[in-house]
Amino acid sequence: MVRRGSVLAVVAALGLGVCLSVGVASAATSTFGPVADTYVDNSATGTNYGTSGQLGADNSPVKRIFLRFTVSGVSGTISSVKLRLHTDDVAGSESSSGGTFRGMSSTTWSETSTTWNNQPAVDGPTLGSIGSVARNAWYEVDVTSYVTGNGTYSIAVTSASTDGVDYDSRESGASTAPQLVVTTGTTPSPSPSPSPSPGGDPVLVGAGDIATSGSGDTATAALLDGIPGTVFTLGDNVYDNGTAAEFNSYYHPTWGRHKARTRPVAGNHDYNTSGATGYYGYFGSAAGDPTKGYYSYDLGSNWHVIVLNSNCSAVPCGTTSAQVTWLRADLAANTRPCTVAMWHHPRYTSGANHAPNSSVAPFVQALYDANADLILTGHNHQYERFAPINPANQLDTARGIRHIVAGMGGAGHYGFGTILPNSEARNSDTHGVLKLTLHPNSYSWQFVPEAGRTYADSGTTACH
Amino acid sequence: MNSLRRRLLLTIGAAVLLAVVAVGYAVLAPDHRTPASAAPVQDGPTLQVLSNGLLSTVARADPGGPREVTGVRCDRAYRAGGTVACLTPVGALTATGLVVMDERLAARRTVPLTGFPNRLRVSASGRMVAWTLFIDGHSYAAAGFSTRTGILDTRTGRLVHSLEEFAITLDGRAYRNADVNFWGVTFAADDNRFYATLSTGGRRHLVAGDFRAGKVWTLRAGVECPSLSPDGTRIAYKAAVNGDPGQGWRLAVLDLAAGTTVPLAGTASVDDQPDWLDDRTVVYTVQTGDGTNNVWSVPADGTGGPRLLVPGASSPASR
Repeated sequence: MVRRGSVLAVVAALGLGVCLSVGVASAATSTFGPVADTYVDNSATGTNYGTSGQLGADNSPVKRIFLRFTVSGVSGTISSVKLRLHTDDVAGSESSSGGTFRGMSSTTWSETSTTWNNQPAVDGPTLGSIGSVARNAWYEVDVTSYVTGNGTYSIAVTSASTDGVDYDSRESGASTAPQLVVTTGTTPSPSPSPSPSPGGDPVLVGAGDIATSGSGDTATAALLDGIPGTVFTLGDNVYDNGTAAEFNSYYHPTWGRHKARTRPVAGNHDYNTSGATGYYGYFGSAAGDPTKGYYSYDLGSNWHVIVLNSNCSAVPCGTTSAQVTWLRADLAANTRPCTVAMWHHPRYTSGANHAPNSSVAPFVQALYDANADLILTGHNHQYERFAPINPANQLDTARGIRHIVAGMGGAGHYGFGTILPNSEARNSDTHGVLKLTLHPNSYSWQFVPEAGRTYADSGTTACH
Repeated sequence: MNSLRRRLLLTIGAAVLLAVVAVGYAVLAPDHRTPASAAPVQDGPTLQVLSNGLLSTVARADPGGPREVTGVRCDRAYRAGGTVACLTPVGALTATGLVVMDERLAARRTVPLTGFPNRLRVSASGRMVAWTLFIDGHSYAAAGFSTRTGILDTRTGRLVHSLEEFAITLDGRAYRNADVNFWGVTFAADDNRFYATLSTGGRRHLVAGDFRAGKVWTLRAGVECPSLSPDGTRIAYKAAVNGDPGQGWRLAVLDLAAGTTVPLAGTASVDDQPDWLDDRTVVYTVQTGDGTNNVWSVPADGTGGPRLLVPGASSPASR
């Protein structure tokens, strides 16, 4: 946790060498440091070693090492990925076994609170092992089969030997910290631009928690000016009370420029005006039936978009409610392979100011039952992206729905509290918009920051 | 010996006792080039912190070193005088609450509460507990928020649900206003005198209070989240930049007798109730943009600069 984002980004053209045999003219390597590393020890089951300079793997006592890397900015075909570890320069670090290396599904364990008692499962494929190791030396494991592209990867090191090995952790300093060396078989192409994709895939772009008397919504509206596509909101379109006057004073001069291509969501502040009459009056038919506030539409040939109303005291959200009954029927009638749903109150959030909301659990269950792909919400004024999860927030790579809280549309930011499991990316200091490019059988997300800011988060996930 | 240390001895037993022999070595040798330790390495005084919401302790002699992590979840925690206080997380179906524990983390008293946990303190003796929750709104920088601050006397059992029940003297005159909010209590050594922040009419005041008499009176403006030094002579606090909370806060220290203030080193905005590591050192939490909390220390006399004390931690309590 001490050093952050230690991407060493060594890109070098290698004209000769191992790649020559496969006829590739050039290659590039990128070296990534761990974003987290620690070990656990069954003789001290409540102790965390996340800040230690060392990583121990042993079988007596049992010690397990956990490493996490985030690979980003890599383009082209990956030809090789090597995990490199350095044994500590201290007597006893040497061992008859350098350990067995395995993948792990959890990529969100906490570096400074993971202990033997609460350790993540070592549940992934075996990647390799290292035999006898000496002190103060580098060792390498081929993890090409596991690290297949940009993304976050966890790797565990265990040992069957009672003679433990001690590697250097990232806290030991850059010259001895673990490394993930990614080699691509081709020279990287220019980094992808945020312009419309060549295929003309539809774009959904927007955020929640938007217009105030301040300048945040001005900055995010300026981003919309340069991004074509359908604009979504995620509720709390205008503060404080969703009155018609506030829509005209605050929302209209900024995000209102894109009203003709906007399909909105209603938030609690919109409902501070009884019946959200300011909201429905401003957006008109684009907001759906004012007595419901939920509706759906299709985008392109492969995507279905569902807007729900999580202001459950005004429009009930229960399992047998009219809204959930409609949702299940809408999902059943949907023939598109990919589905995104959005509303205001997040089912899961690590935000300090609004707790996870169970009132919307029936929405999540219905969407999960129908194999939907993506859920967007706001309410907490920040950005948080979860891994694909089941309705109980358990990692589910087969059917899980990715949840994104995108409440960074302009209102003042909130902080984070306890970070929930499966929370993969977070930001609470940058306004921006979330741009979704809806490919025929996948979606790409991109956090587009306001001018002058650099926070970035992007990726692609296949539809179910 | 502190509370968690004792608890560990009881729960882990012989393994820890054996480990104590090795402990001194690890603590005295913060250089990482020692064999990866196989045992808890906290001997002597500890700091209590939260590690992503889990109640934890680190050795004061090596606060950046290994930490003992319990399964107790809190949004805010504090410890003093053998009393551990915890404001429990707000869940999808559960409200927060105060849990007052003994040094073995056995609950002695619980108080159901409504709102979002924000500040929490225990008096040096362990007798008095005070908390602040956000009721409406979520930030001291915004307009239109409201807070509720309560105090529990664990000896008598007296529970003050809201300091707004107390009589207020503002600038020498009796005062009432529906817009009154209190936050950030700190206790003096007599377990009766306390200090806190009072907000009303767009101004934020440092108040002194008399718990038994049920009254508070204003001392000066522009002082938020006071924290009394162990020797009782100074108050560390957060001061709004240019008097505008919207611009963030910096820490400062007020000398109570002299009435002088000194800004502490540092350029980060600090929205926390600071604490004192000792009479010369102030500690506080700052959150980074990705939600990671870090505990920093800074000299209390305005010299030097902030030092990262406990990475990945919040809610420091040193007593």
